[in-house]
Amino acid sequence: MRYAKAVLTLLILLAAVTSLCVQGGQKAERGKVVIGVIGPMSSPEGMAEEKAVKLAVEEINAQGGILGYPVEVVVGDTKLDSNTASTEFRRLATIENADVVIGGFSSGVMLTMMETMAETKTLFLADASSPAHAKKVAENYDRYKYWFRVTQNNGSTFALDLADMVKFLKDSGYDVKKVYIIRDEHVWTDPVVEALIPLLEEQGVEIVKDVRVPRGYSEYEQLIQEADSLDADLIMPILAIVGTGDILTKQWVTLKPNILLAGHDLAAIDAELYNKTNGMANYEVFLADGGALITAPPTEKCKEFVEAYKKKYGHYPESHQAYGAYDAVYLYKTVVEMAAKDGEDDPFNPDVLVNYLEKFDASNPIMLTRPIAFYKNHDLMWGDNYVRNWISQWQDGKQYIIYPESVANGELKLPPWIE
Amino acid sequence: MIDVLLKIIVFGTVVGGIWGLVASGFSLIFGVSRILNFAHGAAFVCAAYVAILLSGSGFNVYLSILAGLAVSGLLGYLVYLLTRPVRKNEVMVIIVTLALALLIQQILLVNFGDKGISMLPLVQGFVELNNIKVTNMRIASFVLAVASLVSLDLMVSKTRIGKKIIATSQDSEAAMLTGIDVEKVLILVMVLSSILAGFAGILYAQIFAISPETSLKALIYAFAIVILGGLGSLRGSIVSSFIVGYILVLTITFLGARWSEFVMLLAIVTILVVRPTGLFGVEE
Amino acid sequence: MKNIPKLFGFLMILVSAALPVVIPEAYLYLIGLTYLFAILAISWDLMVGYTGQVNLGHTTFVGLGAYVAALLQTPLRMGIAIHPLAAIIIGGLAAALVGFFIGIITLRLRGYYFSLVTAILPLVFMQTVFVWRDVFGGEEGFSIAGYSLVDTTLSKYYFSLALLLISVAAMRWIVKSRIGLRFMAIRDSEELAESIGIDTTKYKVLAFVLSSFFAGIAGAAIVNYRYTVGPELYDVPLMLLIILSAVLGGLGTIYGPLIGAVVIYLAKNWWLRDLIEITSLPVNDEVVLYAVLIAIGILMPHGIFHELRERVGERVKH
Repeated sequence: MRYAKAVLTLLILLAAVTSLCVQGGQKAERGKVVIGVIGPMSSPEGMAEEKAVKLAVEEINAQGGILGYPVEVVVGDTKLDSNTASTEFRRLATIENADVVIGGFSSGVMLTMMETMAETKTLFLADASSPAHAKKVAENYDRYKYWFRVTQNNGSTFALDLADMVKFLKDSGYDVKKVYIIRDEHVWTDPVVEALIPLLEEQGVEIVKDVRVPRGYSEYEQLIQEADSLDADLIMPILAIVGTGDILTKQWVTLKPNILLAGHDLAAIDAELYNKTNGMANYEVFLADGGALITAPPTEKCKEFVEAYKKKYGHYPESHQAYGAYDAVYLYKTVVEMAAKDGEDDPFNPDVLVNYLEKFDASNPIMLTRPIAFYKNHDLMWGDNYVRNWISQWQDGKQYIIYPESVANGELKLPPWIE
Repeated sequence: MIDVLLKIIVFGTVVGGIWGLVASGFSLIFGVSRILNFAHGAAFVCAAYVAILLSGSGFNVYLSILAGLAVSGLLGYLVYLLTRPVRKNEVMVIIVTLALALLIQQILLVNFGDKGISMLPLVQGFVELNNIKVTNMRIASFVLAVASLVSLDLMVSKTRIGKKIIATSQDSEAAMLTGIDVEKVLILVMVLSSILAGFAGILYAQIFAISPETSLKALIYAFAIVILGGLGSLRGSIVSSFIVGYILVLTITFLGARWSEFVMLLAIVTILVVRPTGLFGVEE
Repeated sequence: MKNIPKLFGFLMILVSAALPVVIPEAYLYLIGLTYLFAILAISWDLMVGYTGQVNLGHTTFVGLGAYVAALLQTPLRMGIAIHPLAAIIIGGLAAALVGFFIGIITLRLRGYYFSLVTAILPLVFMQTVFVWRDVFGGEEGFSIAGYSLVDTTLSKYYFSLALLLISVAAMRWIVKSRIGLRFMAIRDSEELAESIGIDTTKYKVLAFVLSSFFAGIAGAAIVNYRYTVGPELYDVPLMLLIILSAVLGGLGTIYGPLIGAVVIYLAKNWWLRDLIEITSLPVNDEVVLYAVLIAIGILMPHGIFHELRERVGERVKH
């Protein structure tokens, strides 16, 4: 009986809270623009997204908002969990009445959120790198067309970058004949390696071994020595999920084999890697995912953004997701203004805005912190004149872009122990 | 062939030594208190974090390591305090220690991020043995680990304190009747075991790197080893930690790195199914 | 007086059924998901609270049910598309079958072995997702959109409410039956249970199979609810959340874990984060939940509601 009363009280409380929420969420005449940002808010990726969006919105509000409406930010936390992410996305879209949602991180969580996006018909300027997402847009355009990838290139473009990296090394005088690949035991690396094989064959480069490592793997010393015994002249990591790329670098520097370490290693992008490994992360050649580096901003706007971020938060962006999130806000503002200029009835209608976003194609990129354009499947366009994963290197505590020349601010330096 | 064999022995032995430090303490704690300390991996990680952060901010590296060990010891004491009220309740002991482990993991995650951090090895360089490069730090770790394990074994089997520990693990009520302060023995074992795990963590952070997730990894390895060696058997744990090290290296060499975790987990389950008392365990 | 709990239960069902009228869609979606989560907590209680065997791998069966149903439902993976309802039931049966085999191997032994094996199991199954990623989709999982049982938020809500009611009724019936009494006899003392002729292994396995079945069904339902399946359904945080809910509500009561699950799941996904932001401590919601779990485990190992009831009861007596 008392038990029952306790439960009843709880239930009434619940109902009271929800009814309050209902009142708060009533759809009103437009008095503001609401931008939702969603991500894992306990991780650097999510935090950077939230901070970057808030920075952009602050700037925009200072200049009079979007079409004169003040902009408001609402935040959703995915907690890297699909159930939570779908709930939070739905909350942003239907209760907070977000006009656009920005962010998202991690392929699986993104896949789930895309379903919620489709149901709620919400514009989604997104992160994550799996080709599966853009494939959904291509396969079922009407359902998934609200999705655009803004933050970084589709993961399979790494094949192009890696092939370029090998070519660049050869052109710079480091001859590459045999490559030893160490990659994530994960679905995202399959298309990369598949596409990479013929590209390397063209250059007469052989893959001597292709090793897959599980999450949390740490025994790289054995692999480095195996690469050595196979006469490889390049160890190519394709590592993101594993989470231990820093160990690879450290063990490579410790063993000092006559092999260069060059590939895509997510750990190397972390601006703090040098400190976190006590300087044992020198000379690794890597790809700057997301098309920007703090120490080598590709555009003027990017430079300003990085400094403004530092000024507001006391530190540089904690992950490259910041660039995409910041760009997404300005991208949204731009397309809304374009729609209004064209005399659209409702310049905030997502179905309308999709058409305007699609106008940024190969021939017409928009210059933000990076030049942004979309493919037909709404994937972020790859290339020297758009966004690509710049070939970069760690040199004495600093990250430099070393290729292509148009954005490079440093040159390849070989480690002293390599002959 | 000799090369491969040598490689397996060298790498397997070093890894085995480090995990042996973790597993022997885990096993000791279970022996005296019947507590499965799921928070054991937390001591491993916390000691390393403290040592790295202190030495990184300019403190003497040896003092930093001592501070790290002290923190892991305190953690052991905390586990003792938290489990004391529920010691008779198996369910709650498991739940409380597991929750503590994840709590610490999340605190580290929120404050220091998910990326690994590592410690500058105390000894640099490497030696070449028959074409195999072995870093000096690995050798040093192996020596330190074996020295610790041997002294632990001597302490348990030869000293008066060790006799108390054995008496308590065999029958804590009888031990109490003969005048042994069982609570003190428990505190000693928990603190000492956690310090051993912390020491392993500090060695690990020098050869590899440490991240909040490493605590779960350390726990799983401790689990695997203790199950293989038999719950509560100290020597069993020490021997089987090397066996686990060899299995790991064998898997990487012959099956490929991708199978390393899977084979490990599968091996544990298989052993549990086929011989649940472990290789050296005794029937309870 | 005796009818009051029944009346109250009836009232609860009515309120739940009427919720869609007053609550906006996004919260309805969350509450529906909460019902499915509640099935996980209750089914865990069926094993742990009634037979006293600590199952640390309940998510094994959640994930199994989810993957089996998802694979059978969408033609995009294996070329078969059976009716979602059949897929959900097969998901539950597959989980029960695996539970049966694991049960007969591990439950013969007393003490810690069952906990140890079940603690490792979800990690093993999670590895299968990564190793055979062509089938299971690896880290990112896969989507069954277009082949789900339910497609609007309203239908999702009623579907999960119905599933919860059926599950609670079924599990209530089980624990009230003679089988349930035997479960509890084993929990209270295995020796005693054996001495009065109960085949303890048989009943422990039975409890495990039933518990796994409901976990599998709920896992499959979650996939139909949110349209995607992923390895996080096997993972440790979900396991901890289940434990927390059941322990909070009180083990061995069915209704306790139900209430615990609702409170915990809504707290975690709704207001806990805002609360933490106000305090501006360097923690996240998981830290708070784990701290709560430790505190409850130590201070009130029988669950908050049980504790409250006892304390209030004492005061009334005095």
